[in-house]
Amino acid sequence: MRGLSRRGLGRAAVAAAITVPATARAQSTPSGEPIRIGGSMSLSGGLAGNGRPAGLTHKLWADEVNARGGLLGRPVQIVTYDDQSSGAQVPGIYTKLIDVDKVDLVVSGYATAIIAPAMPVVMQRNRAFVSLFGTGVNSEFKYDRYFSINPSGSNPNQTFAKGFIELALAMDPKPRSIAIVNLDSDFHQRAAESARALARSAGLRVVYDRAYPPTTVDFSPIIRAVQAARPDVVFVGSYPPDTAGLLRAASELRVNFQLFGGPMIGPHITAQKLQLGPILNNLVVWDVYAPEPTLQFPGTASLIERYQPVAAREGTDALGYYVPPMAYTQMQVLEQAVKKVGSLDQAALAKAMHETVFDTVIGPVRFDAQGEWPEPRDIYTQYQGVQGNGVDQFKKAGTQVILYPAQYKSGELRKPYTAGA
Amino acid sequence: MSDATLPAMPVLPAPRRMGHAAFWLACAVAALAVIAVLRGIGSEYAYFAATFVLQYVVLATAWNILGGYAGYVNFGAAAFFAAGAYTTVAIGKALGLSLLPCIAFAALVGGALGLGTGLLTLRLRGAYFAIATLCLSVVLQTLVVNWSYVGGSRGAYVIRPRDVPWPFDTYGGYLCAVVVVLAAAAIAIARTIEKSRLGLGLGLAALRDDEQAAEAAGVPTLRLKLIATTISGAMMAVAGAPLPLLGSYVEPNSAFGLAYAVNAIAMPLIGGTASWAGPLIGAVVLASLQQAATVTISSAANLLIVGVVLVVFVCAAPHGILGLFKKGAR
Repeated sequence: MRGLSRRGLGRAAVAAAITVPATARAQSTPSGEPIRIGGSMSLSGGLAGNGRPAGLTHKLWADEVNARGGLLGRPVQIVTYDDQSSGAQVPGIYTKLIDVDKVDLVVSGYATAIIAPAMPVVMQRNRAFVSLFGTGVNSEFKYDRYFSINPSGSNPNQTFAKGFIELALAMDPKPRSIAIVNLDSDFHQRAAESARALARSAGLRVVYDRAYPPTTVDFSPIIRAVQAARPDVVFVGSYPPDTAGLLRAASELRVNFQLFGGPMIGPHITAQKLQLGPILNNLVVWDVYAPEPTLQFPGTASLIERYQPVAAREGTDALGYYVPPMAYTQMQVLEQAVKKVGSLDQAALAKAMHETVFDTVIGPVRFDAQGEWPEPRDIYTQYQGVQGNGVDQFKKAGTQVILYPAQYKSGELRKPYTAGA
Repeated sequence: MSDATLPAMPVLPAPRRMGHAAFWLACAVAALAVIAVLRGIGSEYAYFAATFVLQYVVLATAWNILGGYAGYVNFGAAAFFAAGAYTTVAIGKALGLSLLPCIAFAALVGGALGLGTGLLTLRLRGAYFAIATLCLSVVLQTLVVNWSYVGGSRGAYVIRPRDVPWPFDTYGGYLCAVVVVLAAAAIAIARTIEKSRLGLGLGLAALRDDEQAAEAAGVPTLRLKLIATTISGAMMAVAGAPLPLLGSYVEPNSAFGLAYAVNAIAMPLIGGTASWAGPLIGAVVLASLQQAATVTISSAANLLIVGVVLVVFVCAAPHGILGLFKKGAR
């Protein structure tokens, strides 16, 4: 180092005094044009129970990123339009987002029925697309810039019900027959296909196999028909309004099935957990997370702690175990890919997403060629010992025990399912 | 008998009226102008929004031929609309045809469906006819939900072709131009029927006012009714034919959505049902409002907007926007 004169030292000190706080300021307050991230979200309609917490989590992420200094030094801004839980609204929303709002990045809304109609628009503009709860969406499109946060893997038609069927086969005495009931929708048809194939290969006799239309309001005839078929095991795929209807009908008809459940979306929403209360006891439900000691990743608990006060303020899903960790992961994947690439180039982002193992609040996430999880992580949980309708019991371990997969197992299967009787 | 003769009525000069050919020409010119303006804007979203609005112009105009001119309220607009959409899906998949032949097939299917509805509901009038058309929607939706070839309840994906016909830059632009032409043609057809000297316009009006009296006066009510249901059905199906390519995805709940049935009725009512211009004005006003609401406030506001606007018009302008102007002119 060359000698530094006293004057030079003074100048350097002044320069440092100016630049250091400037750098520090740059880290805490992002500047420049915001990076706009657009998507549709089900803020009203049948899917709003899960769409609202997802939208809230996206905003929570944006606030945290901005507090950390933004993305590429720029603030992030979320642009969301309500898709009304209707796929018909989606193409218009994404066209507007990309053409008029000129968003830099696009993400998906909540469910398969919303993600699928966004795909053609996104594909035409060659955008990288991180989706939330899509099941097998890309199997038709084979788009190489699609990435799914849903842990059901690239072949849900075959693997989705694996946990459920394995639980059934492990029962003593071994079951001999199965009933399959599902809502006539894309997601549930895939789930039912998987249950059908796996049951047949395991030698289970399918004694009832029917889909009911989305307009169904009276579920007693369905439960009665299933009872009449006398199955040992009942696999059900339903959305929130149907789940409540089916479980109430099961309760009224005092069912007694050795194993009952499946992808019954509904108890994932706190309000429905509280409404159903003891009717949930011994119900086996597909899920992505449960607050059990065996399924903890760095960041999950802390995220839920940050989410719950915001949710209470906004009056949306109070517990936030189901969608928020996944919605936060969706944005973390985007954030880490942008940081890695250092720009918003869509091709480079997609390439980075294929190559990177992301460190997220639901554990390490990576994607296969179709943008799905290489190894599915569908978990099957069982509600046990639910008493009354208090919310606190659902916060503690042991209320929603994990039965499958083995590495996260936190309890033993209880049977039969008697709808709280 | 008195010898007194009645004084001759003063001969009023016939109001100057544009001929059919001139009106068709004017529609063609207007369509070209709209296409040119949209091309000038050149945004994909402008194309999308214009296509959305213009599909409603076709649908509302089609509804008005039966509902406005003949007084037969059709609650099953969504059924015809979806029949058009699913014709595109089925024909496109089976024969690999492009949009224009699919539109022609949709017109045939919609026309046949309209004729069938007309024949089946020969003896139904007023509320009974309206309920029968509502049933048509339920029956068709059940059929589509159980027809796995067109996607069943899962819905069908229709990927837009990569090749865009000359001279368009994007498929969105081409699709929009097609719908502009369809809207112009729909308006021209409606106006031709309305002003027709063949008696269809007057005959339908007679049908609307008092069907039995019209029948007694020698108006061939059955034939006119069947012609009206066929044309109206064909046009509604044509309105729905581009839908799968607009969204690239179509599923029964969206295609048979309440919004299409409600809008098809609300738009002519708001614009004015007595003339071809009413549905045009109603559709442009209401569909633009809805599209603006979808991308600004919330799409849940859509049907609310229709409801509020309808209530306002029922109270303030029972004959629609056109009725307001005609009142002022008198």
